[in-house]
Amino acid sequence: MISLPLSLKVVFSIPTYVLIAAAVAIPFWILFNAFDQLIFFDPIWIFYLPEDAITGFILTTIITILIGMLVSMNIYVIRHSKLKISRGSLFSGSSLSIISGVCSSCSSVGFLLISTFGSIGIIASNLLTIYQIPLRIISAAILFFALYYIHKRIVQSCVMDFSTNNMKNQISERKSR
Amino acid sequence: MKNGKILQLENGIRSNLLSVIVVMIALVSGILLFSPNIISLNQSILVMAQTDDSISSSFSLSNLVEQDSPYLGDLSAPITIIDFSDFQCHLCARHVKNTEPIINETYIQTGQVALVFKHLPNRGFDSLGAHLAAQCTNDQGKFWQFYKLLYENQQAIDSGWVSKDSLKKFASQISGLEKDQFNTCFDSQTYKESIDNDVKLAHSQGFFDTPSFIVVDSTDGSDPEIIRGAQPFPAFQSVIEKKLDELKK
Repeated sequence: MISLPLSLKVVFSIPTYVLIAAAVAIPFWILFNAFDQLIFFDPIWIFYLPEDAITGFILTTIITILIGMLVSMNIYVIRHSKLKISRGSLFSGSSLSIISGVCSSCSSVGFLLISTFGSIGIIASNLLTIYQIPLRIISAAILFFALYYIHKRIVQSCVMDFSTNNMKNQISERKSR
Repeated sequence: MKNGKILQLENGIRSNLLSVIVVMIALVSGILLFSPNIISLNQSILVMAQTDDSISSSFSLSNLVEQDSPYLGDLSAPITIIDFSDFQCHLCARHVKNTEPIINETYIQTGQVALVFKHLPNRGFDSLGAHLAAQCTNDQGKFWQFYKLLYENQQAIDSGWVSKDSLKKFASQISGLEKDQFNTCFDSQTYKESIDNDVKLAHSQGFFDTPSFIVVDSTDGSDPEIIRGAQPFPAFQSVIEKKLDELKK
């Protein structure tokens, strides 16, 4: 069994992928925390973490790290996998993980976005405010699932296929030579 | 043939990834462009450019007190903070819990700053009732007790915690508050117009989010500095200290 940290090691042993992950995660982290009113730029630049915001902040940080890792790992897969990539798996893997990463922002950003739409906006924003933490937990769960999926893609490309049919084919190919 | 297919597939993958990245960037830019923070910022820039003179006249401390706006501190304080808040807004509660006590201790108790409350009920359908009740307690000089009580007991928006009955129960917990006078004022919505005027004033300044603050010179309401959101004490301190320094010169 190849463990998850190994797939992370494979990708993040290359400094470019660490940089890509950081380049994606940091802007998202700043954006989410600015919307959560934990980072301010005017009248002074300040980061502020009151007690009531600790849970949300931890979840936001986990989500942004996962988004960075996933985008970086997806780019790694696309650049290194030359075989067995179907459009279907690409959609469910790379795209889903990136889109789910963006959608995780719905819990904090969506609150502000929807609150522009009058009384319907009030109802929607109230629901998003009340269920902000559960929504973020769901976002993190989706991202963890996407991380597991991309891990599988990375390690699968390294594992040899020892299935009986495949072995037979290889032996017969050698014999025919 | 195989290599050709792989190449084609790789091209597809790249274009797919590119489209996902474009969608991602579009989504983030859309959020930034259309979020009320940005909208209100743009609106406030426009409004500030248009109504600079009207700010000066309406935001002097004496004018605000004449409008029956609840205030805290010395009427001779050189600086006034005008606070636009909603009792159902959790960020306002965050400000009241974490930042306001330090402002109070550092600047209000020392006579350097006066705090004026303006109503901006926009977080839920029950918010207006809470503000009507609060303004009625101001008639009897009990606004700040009621204000504190509501923020200490804040619950989920429109969950019934500021229903008519709950508000009357909260009012009954304030010692020295004349119950009948409060009920008459509250039931007849005496301050509906006054609260509507506060909301109009907030919107005219580009404030759609709570809490929002304007820090002005008390005498004539001039030199307004805007603080958006539940910012920590150092943000207020920087604005107040700058104003105090300017006044000393």
